[in-house]
Amino acid sequence: MQTQRQVDGGLAASAATTFDALAWEIELAGARCIFLDKLIGDLMQTMPVEERTRLMEGMHAVDLLSQHLTGLSAFARKVSENVSEEVLVPVQAALDDITLGVLADRMSTAFGGEEMGINQGDDAGDLDLF
Amino acid sequence: MQFDTRGLNIMIVDNDRTVLEMLQIRLEVAGYNTSTARTGRAALETMRHARPAALILDINVPDVSGLEVLAALTPPGCKPPFPILVMGRKLSADDVQRAINRGARDCMAKPFSGADILERVARLLRRAVAPPTPAAQPAAYI
Repeated sequence: MQTQRQVDGGLAASAATTFDALAWEIELAGARCIFLDKLIGDLMQTMPVEERTRLMEGMHAVDLLSQHLTGLSAFARKVSENVSEEVLVPVQAALDDITLGVLADRMSTAFGGEEMGINQGDDAGDLDLF
Repeated sequence: MQFDTRGLNIMIVDNDRTVLEMLQIRLEVAGYNTSTARTGRAALETMRHARPAALILDINVPDVSGLEVLAALTPPGCKPPFPILVMGRKLSADDVQRAINRGARDCMAKPFSGADILERVARLLRRAVAPPTPAAQPAAYI
């Protein structure tokens, strides 16, 4: 776990940690796409042949998205390995803009913030509409 | 030789929720079952009830460290009960040596991709079930 750092009273993280946290989150999003891709593939087996075309289009789109995320994740991972630990990124304002509570909590924890224990499926904080 | 790994239970131990969930999804889509723990103590407790086919263990988990988990699973002079892959950020040569000495079969430095981990787990399981090669036989039999 990262040591908490502050800039102007808000959470800050090294550029390496920032890119590392981004890489893991993109990798997780990619894993979810791969799961979705498999789900569509399994569903397709149960459908009549004439109804599979649209699902096939969806499957291609998910596959493309998965490759897109794999590329972005690899990019962020490589940058995290090569960027200085000394450069501090003020991440607080960016964290405050994340409306998905569980994602904001995970990223804040990765930057050394205290874990709030918000989990997937928790209704509070997923969309800050009110 | 190909063997069927579908349904094997892989235990993942990592305090980082993102890494834990990513590994869980990738392994389950590949056909494995998974169990997870976020601390060394929780991992040891879970393994008292259900023995996994393999363990993916972050060396820096809180409570009971990864190295302590390894030591608990592998009493001196014994082999670990299942293959163990240790992972961690900035693993030093010393970390790797200590993990191997305490029974880890493989070590993997973070960060890595989901595809990387699948390859390493498959290799870990292949090595665990593969019959010994002639080179691995005791010298007296060669």
